[in-house]
Amino acid sequence: MTQTTITAPSTWQTVFDQVKTWARINSPWAIHFNSGSCNGCDIEILATLTPRYDIERFGIKLQGSPRHADVLICTGPVTRQARDRLLRTYEQMPDPKFVIAVGSCAISGGVFHGSYNIMGGISEVIPVNVFIPGCPPRPEAIIYGVVQLLQALKK
Amino acid sequence: MEAKVSPQKFIVPIGPQHPALKEPGHFEFTVEGEIITGATVRLGYVHRGIEKSTEDRNWVQNLYLLERICGICSHIHATAYVLGVEALANVTAPPRAQAIRTLVCELERIHSHMLWLGVAAHEGGFDTLFMYSWRDRETVMDLLEGLSGNRVNYSVNVLGGVKIDVDEKQAATIRKGIDFLEGRTQYYMKVVTTDETFLGRTRNVGTMTYDQADALAAVGPTARASGIARDVRADAPYVAYPDFPIKVITERGGDLAARFVVRINELYESYRLVREILDKLPVGELTTRVPRRIPENEAISRVEAPRGELFYYLKSNGTEKPERIKVRTPSICNWATVMNFAIGLKLADMPMILAGIDPCFSCSDRAVIINRKSQSQEWSWEDLRQYGIKYYR
Amino acid sequence: MDITEAIQTAQDLLNLWTSGMSTPDLSRLDVVLAPKDLKPAVRILQKAHWGYLSAITGLDHPPLPASPDGKQPAKDGSLEMLYHFCEGAAILTLRVSAPYARPAIPSICDILPYATLYEREAIEMFGATFRGTPNTEHFVLPEDWPSGVYPLRKSFTGLNKPQKAN
Repeated sequence: MTQTTITAPSTWQTVFDQVKTWARINSPWAIHFNSGSCNGCDIEILATLTPRYDIERFGIKLQGSPRHADVLICTGPVTRQARDRLLRTYEQMPDPKFVIAVGSCAISGGVFHGSYNIMGGISEVIPVNVFIPGCPPRPEAIIYGVVQLLQALKK
Repeated sequence: MEAKVSPQKFIVPIGPQHPALKEPGHFEFTVEGEIITGATVRLGYVHRGIEKSTEDRNWVQNLYLLERICGICSHIHATAYVLGVEALANVTAPPRAQAIRTLVCELERIHSHMLWLGVAAHEGGFDTLFMYSWRDRETVMDLLEGLSGNRVNYSVNVLGGVKIDVDEKQAATIRKGIDFLEGRTQYYMKVVTTDETFLGRTRNVGTMTYDQADALAAVGPTARASGIARDVRADAPYVAYPDFPIKVITERGGDLAARFVVRINELYESYRLVREILDKLPVGELTTRVPRRIPENEAISRVEAPRGELFYYLKSNGTEKPERIKVRTPSICNWATVMNFAIGLKLADMPMILAGIDPCFSCSDRAVIINRKSQSQEWSWEDLRQYGIKYYR
Repeated sequence: MDITEAIQTAQDLLNLWTSGMSTPDLSRLDVVLAPKDLKPAVRILQKAHWGYLSAITGLDHPPLPASPDGKQPAKDGSLEMLYHFCEGAAILTLRVSAPYARPAIPSICDILPYATLYEREAIEMFGATFRGTPNTEHFVLPEDWPSGVYPLRKSFTGLNKPQKAN
């Protein structure tokens, strides 16, 4: 089996240890929302659930309903049709709530910037706490971004 | 979640918070009791105005735009586009470039079919199979990353050729990865053809006969599972397929089980093709020059995406920007087939049937609504999926 | 059928309209048809089992003013619908035009039911009209899209921006 080639194991290990500590205190429930993405980011988010990355060991559970979620993980450049649904999803979440924008499109509209049917990024519609750049960002980067949020929450 | 409610409509938005499908969409089914009596589709959540946007970008910029129509089949979109532009400009990429394009096409098909296997399994409640196939899929993701530098959106194509090369070391890594995957694929084949629980959800479910598939102009594995030997790689070979011919994989059953078998057999065929291309990679240049301004012309480019025939129409007007680019993705054809043969089927079968055509929402963007005679109810996709699982317990 | 055979067969089947035929390359046959001839042509193809409808492309031809030297008269705006049929590697394109002022062309959905998705798309993107089409609901545009605004027409330059004069 081939190895992934990213940063040195010790850096990740430190991060993971910190998250494990945090996760023992409380574990956030996240929901995922696709506002018009090409799916590139979504499949990398989904990949974080799979054995190689296994984000669930950090206590992050992916839910179906906004009413039980702490964190909203968003992808996509926000099409006109998705905009209202994004707002509604955000409004249904109880406070405190946090938003992670995954991918270039979620940040600025990405390559689709300027199109007649997109708003141009999640922060055009709702406040965002963490931006994870990439097209798409790799699963490690997504986990890293989520960890950043968790660390900030801890404070 | 906004839902269109009328006294006879049962709205099931495949809401944006779908944990597995990851794509916002929305279908409409009319049901009487358990049975579907009408179906239509409505898309829009992923409509990014791409065709219009191409008119505002030059030929090179459009490559980066069109690659991102779909994260799962990025390379095939890019390939269809560059082939179209090369046809407009009347140039041909060199043989080594075409072979490398083909290699990446097949690696992409492998990743896509494995992704689909996992998602379709998840739709039926077979989460172990989902986890196994996605774990194994990481192998081909690594291979693609090793070649191109990215796991998704490999961006291998340039106008006139490719920007990556394959050396002996990479070829050896790829062969090793393919050997591993072939072993794992034998396990998947065993599950989909012999596991009784699995077969209970797929055998004789969603059957589309040869004549129905033909009348509805089905494409891709969905068509081939009904016996239609239709595959653009064989019918109208492009890139290096003339030198590396494929075997068209068909099944006769036309049911969901057949659709699984076709895709797994296509995995074997892709493994074979990858090995053959690596063994016989032509020597030579990687690119040829394409002019900045493309003379007035029209071109049509057809390729076989993992989901079926992808159709590009391109029109140039002598400038640096296209006059018109039209993209018809395979999922649109497959929607038409589902909307027609869903009638008479059980609602509980819909999650797996929809997954069975391997819909790519971002390629075509979709929707679902359920109409019952006197009530209206709102379900989430997760509800519909659980409904299907419980029905068969 | 190989390509040459397929193209030849298509030419023979549609011999009523030979004057509108051209072969832009070895694998393509284009046939220009008047709107009234669209359905007869499609029926002939369907009966002979020649290919399947792979896509319908819409083209916008915006109005052009008369040329300054007076050699080219002013042209009205028109829409051109391209119906692409594929048989193996051969691609047959039926080309049907209609002016903005009288945009209606017949729907082919009673012959090929699956064409409805393509017609819906052309209706909302170009403002095309297909007489007899079963479904005119939006296909990809949002529910609140303003009516009468057609994104794929050349005159459309974005919402909330002044439109180019039509």
